[in-house]
Amino acid sequence: MSTIQDFTGYQPTWCPGCGNWGIGVSVKLALVQLGLSPSSTFVVFGIGCSGNMNDFLNAYSIHSLHGRSIPTAIGMKISNHEFTTLVIGGDGDIYGEGGNHFIHGMRGNHDITVIVHDNRVYGLTTGQVSPTADKGFKSKSTPQGTLNIPFKPLDIAISQGATFVGQAFAGDTVSMVKIIKSAISHKGFSLVNVLQPCVSFNKVNTYAYYKERLLNVPKVFTTKKEALSFVIKARSDDKLPVGVIFKKDLPTYTEMLTQLKNNTLVKSPKTTDIDSLLEEFI
Amino acid sequence: MNEILWKIGGEAGFGIKKAGLLFSKLLSRLGFSIFNYTEYPSLVKGGLNTFEVAFSDSQKSFLKKDIDVLVCLNEKVFNVSKDYIKPDTRVIFDPLTFKPEGEFIKVACPVSKILDKSGNSAIFSNMIFLGVTLFIFDFPIEKAFSLINDVFKGKSEEVISVNKKMISEGYSWAKENLGEKNRIKLNKVSELKKRAVLTGNDAFALGAVAGNCKLYAAYPMTPASSVLSSLALWQEKVNSVVVHTEDEISAVNMAIGASFAGVRSAVGTSGGGFALMEESISLAGITEMPLVMLLAQRVGPATGMPTWTEQGDLLFSVFAGQGEFPKIVLAPGDVEEMFELSMKAFNLAEIYQTPVIVLSDKFLSESYENIDVSLIKEIKDRVGIDRGKTSETFTKGYLRYKDSQDGISERVIPQKNGVFYQANSYEHLEDCHTTEDPKERIKQVNKRARKIKTYLKKHFSSPKFYGDKDSDIVFVSWGSTKHSILNAMKLLKSSNKKAGFIHFTHMYPLSTNLGSLFMDKNKRYVLVENNSTSQLGKLLRMELGVNIESKLLKYDGRPFLPEEIRDFALKI
Ligand SMILES: Cc1ncc(C[n+]2csc(CCOP(=O)(O)OP(=O)(O)O)c2C)c(N)n1
Ligand code: SF4
Repeated sequence: MSTIQDFTGYQPTWCPGCGNWGIGVSVKLALVQLGLSPSSTFVVFGIGCSGNMNDFLNAYSIHSLHGRSIPTAIGMKISNHEFTTLVIGGDGDIYGEGGNHFIHGMRGNHDITVIVHDNRVYGLTTGQVSPTADKGFKSKSTPQGTLNIPFKPLDIAISQGATFVGQAFAGDTVSMVKIIKSAISHKGFSLVNVLQPCVSFNKVNTYAYYKERLLNVPKVFTTKKEALSFVIKARSDDKLPVGVIFKKDLPTYTEMLTQLKNNTLVKSPKTTDIDSLLEEFI
Repeated sequence: MNEILWKIGGEAGFGIKKAGLLFSKLLSRLGFSIFNYTEYPSLVKGGLNTFEVAFSDSQKSFLKKDIDVLVCLNEKVFNVSKDYIKPDTRVIFDPLTFKPEGEFIKVACPVSKILDKSGNSAIFSNMIFLGVTLFIFDFPIEKAFSLINDVFKGKSEEVISVNKKMISEGYSWAKENLGEKNRIKLNKVSELKKRAVLTGNDAFALGAVAGNCKLYAAYPMTPASSVLSSLALWQEKVNSVVVHTEDEISAVNMAIGASFAGVRSAVGTSGGGFALMEESISLAGITEMPLVMLLAQRVGPATGMPTWTEQGDLLFSVFAGQGEFPKIVLAPGDVEEMFELSMKAFNLAEIYQTPVIVLSDKFLSESYENIDVSLIKEIKDRVGIDRGKTSETFTKGYLRYKDSQDGISERVIPQKNGVFYQANSYEHLEDCHTTEDPKERIKQVNKRARKIKTYLKKHFSSPKFYGDKDSDIVFVSWGSTKHSILNAMKLLKSSNKKAGFIHFTHMYPLSTNLGSLFMDKNKRYVLVENNSTSQLGKLLRMELGVNIESKLLKYDGRPFLPEEIRDFALKI
């Protein structure tokens, strides 16, 4: 059995009070409680304050490029589907720069768990607006308030093929650990959007802001229609759901690949014989 | 020696390529060497498609200017080919479609009448023309039938028999109406060796399988797309996974993820897609991840001329990716070299744990050659699989980025309960953690750079010299211009002019002691490149301090014909 110490790398460099501390602890607790070890876990980190967890969390990991963690994780999972595979990144990284990978990665139901630190700003680059910020949000890059309406990760994930969609609050580690654990245990594409206060650059969406609006998900919805209506209704009530919102069991990408029935790709036998392939060219 | 050029052309959608490929395979089975070149616009229907089959009783065949047999499915083909027709060219056409004028041998086959009589649609006209062709060269029709049986395996009996019937109809018409004098007499060839008819892309795909590439990720882009379809078709047979991703950025990062997990992987694209992949080339550089990339060049900039050829991305690939890191660029000159260098690319990527780019272009990627199956096997055994310092076990105190004399650190494939480590896109310590310490930074930069020295010592191949050592003229070129130049040299020889040829396949990094190759004051060095700025010339100036003034550059989207190079050489 591994311990939280096994997963612990360097001392985090996050600002005191940042929501990332809670997420960092929750991820480690979830992994330990699931009986995983650093050397049975793949993690891909994005670039941002969130992605800086690469040095604080021990695992077989890639600190990838800004926005590119999802396809990287998919490549790892297809190659060795016995490894639990996580993606950890910011909302700017995963929904903005990597938005195309986010919406298309879900379509294959790849068995990866994507944890997004949603702080509505770009933390590492010192406070520009992010895709999840409300219309009118003032930031370094939008001094007059952004003209864009917010990106809706939950709605998109539910409708676009994620088979597990949950939301957590960085200020509540107890329920966050539970949600992350069920996300990792779920076979298929899981999204956990974590509402994360950035104490340095977001003075609007604070701990107090979130606490006033949190709404416990009453039950896990199993149809997209129910899940979507719930999410839309919560938004119109100015509420932020926390818990597991949607879950459906469907075959994962590697389960659907007949080539991987008996082996992982990395352990599959060498098949470098080209004689029979050459026949079609003669 | 026979050197024949047969050309067929017509509207897209009328089986031009199908007929050309069938004819080529037939020739290959009969014992000829073949070389095919196809031109088509970036359209699915309409527009003009042409397919040229050069064949010869010598070891290697190549394009030439003069056409011996021209098959015209419409008038346009005739118009674009007119300048290459001689008095003894056989021009085969349907007089009910158009009547060509001029001095050449007219073979007026009433194709539409034959079709009407048999109740078949115009898409079978290609087979009738093929039948006429068989008669002209006196090729055994049974051989064509057995080829059809093999190629159409899995298709319905009806499809097979209609195709055969249309070939027979064409053949019979020719037999009754043409007579012996219109035939082209060829030397006897022996069909001893089994040969495969392959494009450069086919050779890359086969090289990937032979090199145990288990994951190929790509987004379709001409002229690289056929690699994606071949590998996708074979994936279950060879236990690999092929992914058509949402974009090229996804493809390259997926390949990098696979590499981390210990799986040999590759991507393939053309210039536009390669541009999108650039940041990740740099990622593979700093994380020291094996990455094989096929860059099949086409005419740029931007969308350019998608289905035409150019060597416009040599410097782009050499300089691809931000920052400084080792990268290997290879440029095979023909199908044989493509097979060998793609296999080698997979080895180099793992040995040096860095990106390796295989440069092709439309001309190499989509032109067919036939090559001895025994030679392919011989290359496969010779190159083999070398994973360098890749290992499945580790010793205590393992450091992923440990400094080393040859610049290469041990790479352990992730195993459960093994030794975890990270691949860090930030500058890192030997133990992978992020660093901004000046000494550690220099250590890692120097370590990575040392891989270049090791490569130059162990795996770099100097350019190959062809031709006469005592010539006054020496062509200098790279990649797919190889056979245009070799054939130009043959032509020059018959005009009593000697020529030499320095052909580069290992483009970058370059060994700096190659400068002496270009120092002979008595020789005239001539750069021959399919681009407008002479990118090899610039590379040689940058890396070797060599300045070659004389240049023959072509950038109209077409490959060099040997005659063009000969004429240029005769003038200087
Ligand atoms: C291609 C590229 N563009 C821009 C950057 C600069 N950059 C680094 S992190 C970041 C945004 C971080 O915001 P987010 O992903 O929300 O993560 P956070 O820091 O808030 O956790 C940006 C723009 C980069 N590293 N790479
Ligand atoms: S800048 Fe914001 S997100 Fe980044 S560590 Fe500080 S508080 Fe957290």
